[in-house]
Amino acid sequence: MRLVIGRYMAAAAVAVLSLSAPVHAQYKFNLDGRQIQVHSFASQGFAYSNDNSYLTMNTSKGSFNFDDLGVNLSTQITDKFRVGAQGYTRRLGELSRGQVTLDWAVADYRLKPWLGFRGGKVKTALGLYNDLQDVDSLFTWALLPQSMYPIDLRGSTIAHYGGDLYGRVRLGKYGKADYTAYGGVLPSDPHQGYMYALRTIFHFNTAYVGPIAGGDLKWTTPLKGFLAGASFMEQHPKGSGKTVAGPFGPPASFTQDTKKRQISQFYVQYLVKGLHIDGEYHRDYRDEAITQPGTAADIQWNARSWYLSGAYRINHLLEVGSYYSHFTPDQNVDTSLPGNHIYDKVVTARFDLKSYWTVKAEGHFIDGYGAIDSARGFYDSFPGPLSGTAGFKPQTNMLMVRTGFSF
Amino acid sequence: MKILRTLLATAALMFAATAFLSAADVKVIANNSVTSNSISAGDLKDVFLLDKDSIGGSHVEPVLQNAGATHEAFLKAYLGKPNSVLQAFYRSLVFTGKASMPKVTAADAEAVAYVAKTKGAIGYVSSGASTEGVKTLEVK
Repeated sequence: MRLVIGRYMAAAAVAVLSLSAPVHAQYKFNLDGRQIQVHSFASQGFAYSNDNSYLTMNTSKGSFNFDDLGVNLSTQITDKFRVGAQGYTRRLGELSRGQVTLDWAVADYRLKPWLGFRGGKVKTALGLYNDLQDVDSLFTWALLPQSMYPIDLRGSTIAHYGGDLYGRVRLGKYGKADYTAYGGVLPSDPHQGYMYALRTIFHFNTAYVGPIAGGDLKWTTPLKGFLAGASFMEQHPKGSGKTVAGPFGPPASFTQDTKKRQISQFYVQYLVKGLHIDGEYHRDYRDEAITQPGTAADIQWNARSWYLSGAYRINHLLEVGSYYSHFTPDQNVDTSLPGNHIYDKVVTARFDLKSYWTVKAEGHFIDGYGAIDSARGFYDSFPGPLSGTAGFKPQTNMLMVRTGFSF
Repeated sequence: MKILRTLLATAALMFAATAFLSAADVKVIANNSVTSNSISAGDLKDVFLLDKDSIGGSHVEPVLQNAGATHEAFLKAYLGKPNSVLQAFYRSLVFTGKASMPKVTAADAEAVAYVAKTKGAIGYVSSGASTEGVKTLEVK
């Protein structure tokens, strides 16, 4: 389902909701004697950077081209069976222009606390924030660490069509463990950064989709406020199209077949009083076969990401924090090159003006711009194949302000 | 100046009233369909954190109050989380399709009325509130 919405529709919808909402309001209505809950979130961002533009927005001149809106409906069918769905739309520079997508739609049967099933289009458990990354009220930052949760590659990990087996197992004095195991098909996202990054070389004319499977294990330790976990994902997307005319010659058909993409992610979190510390490490290995008439190439990438963040809530109004985010597109290439790393130092102040309304101001100090196909904020602005990233300065400083609502 | 002093004194009294409320000032109530007459503090926490949906074989569901001293005292005594953290926790489930938002009521009278008519409902009220039509659970 795709529908282009107007520039300020998300903001207008939120304004209407906020004007009519008591602070604790739950939107609900009855349908055929069954209560339907309605919840929504929305945000509007502004980014202003020095020389380099970021996330395909014209941030060097200041850009508001960053907003989103999600609305969900859910209902409890029986004590153990629940259904729901969420629509989601966003604008993000050239990447997303207000297309409405089905974000998730699940039927969930929780047999026991330690065993449940959910199926449909399901948000994917990966690390601390993958499934939460759209709802900015749930984290301190205006932008989550982009080494780990690249907003331009959201579609490559955010959800799957298929099923989850999940539950919580009590470990007595050793705490408790939450598990999720899933399998299915990776949804198509033609608006993701990877397609945009390759637009001057390849043009896909099929969906870039394939099987996906993985799991997540989260251990809530006996040490109060401390949890640790690990996630694993394997996916095999495949697509085909035509190369763009250029130095490689006239357009020719191609197939890109991901023989293996394996993501391993390890994480820790510590929450005590107003202090919130997160740390995650991520390995992303890809092995892709690119086939054209008469030629075939096998390409591997071995990316590494990690971040460490700390935030402290000073009072109910203000939380301050900082993180360091580290990304190297390919460990097998010199990572000191600005074209093979993105290091981001961030400071943030988050203001909770109401229980449903946040404003965040954030400074980014970014070293490097990554590879041409990193698809993490920096995109070649020069037309033509393989023009490289010569147009980028090695350092980017950026101010981001983001306000969000959730009901 | 006098108005300012009055406002400050009122704020201080309100803060003190909230700060010194404890588990003893809160009663945990349940719909009469709940067979148990008591609940462990651990189970109570699990019910409100949506980890547990049955007690003693009876289906249960949490009912929260939206604000106020009784709400704060309950969170402090039994959940160990401030309201902002609890709300963020619920939202993280609601916006990922993993749970529905628990019922929220206004003050004691509405909480008692809702718990009385809703099978499996477990809520809380101030210790002085009338609990006609519901049962009071002992928290062990």
